[in-house]
Amino acid sequence: MTDSASLLDPPVNDPAVTEEHVAEVAGAVWDSFLGLPLQLSPDHPEPATGGMSGVVTISGAWRGAVVLQCPAAHAVEAAEAMFAAEPGSLSPAEIADALGELTNMVGGNLKNLLPEPTSLSIPSVSGGGDSQVFVPAARPVLEVPLQSGTHLVRVTLWQS
Amino acid sequence: MRILIVDDSKAMRMIVTRTLRQAGFADHDFAEAVDGVTALASIATEQPDLVLCDWNMPEMNGIELLRALRAAGNQVRFGFVTSESTPAMRNTADENGAMFLIAKPFTAETFSQALAGVLV
Repeated sequence: MTDSASLLDPPVNDPAVTEEHVAEVAGAVWDSFLGLPLQLSPDHPEPATGGMSGVVTISGAWRGAVVLQCPAAHAVEAAEAMFAAEPGSLSPAEIADALGELTNMVGGNLKNLLPEPTSLSIPSVSGGGDSQVFVPAARPVLEVPLQSGTHLVRVTLWQS
Repeated sequence: MRILIVDDSKAMRMIVTRTLRQAGFADHDFAEAVDGVTALASIATEQPDLVLCDWNMPEMNGIELLRALRAAGNQVRFGFVTSESTPAMRNTADENGAMFLIAKPFTAETFSQALAGVLV
């Protein structure tokens, strides 16, 4: 079987996920599939509320979840880039699909850095109102604020 | 040649198709399936030349699809396109008859390299 190396090589003998890992993983996804910049946010604002959220859970040798949060406007922007769609043309389901896939890619690549064997869930997406995301029986162990243009994108690693 | 793209994300199916065209494979025919169950039926009727398949999907995931194909004696060319690319998963893919595993995120060059010699 031909190996196609990932754009992101996991660190050797270091299963811990760091802020830099998250920024590199998410930045590569935003660059490759959205053509948008994404980098660590220097201001580290308070946890985001509202907007849209994507969640994937990880189970097995390591248990927890990866949560991706962003303003609804950025979810739309990202979805329009993924679908190569005209502005305002996508349905809520298509926007949710795009955010779910972004969450899947960020979560899947972070999963590659964690102890094995593990499995990744299908992503779930929610949004609207002033909601926060909580993962039952887990605690946030890493919260990484990122910025794409004027939009805050937050990736949180929860561990059970 | 006919290429079947299997992924539960509509956005990702579009990205894979777009990337295949960018990688120089625009002359081939593309079909889509949303999960392993749909893909299994489509492969039986449409007989694609290559299957590009996500790993993590509802109903029937990619490795379950590949195992079902091989158990039925179907040797269709098969490759994974997935964000999960640990050495263990690559070994599992190889052991079950996958020709390659392309990790997400990918570029057109990634596809060109992986599919060189597969699509002629």
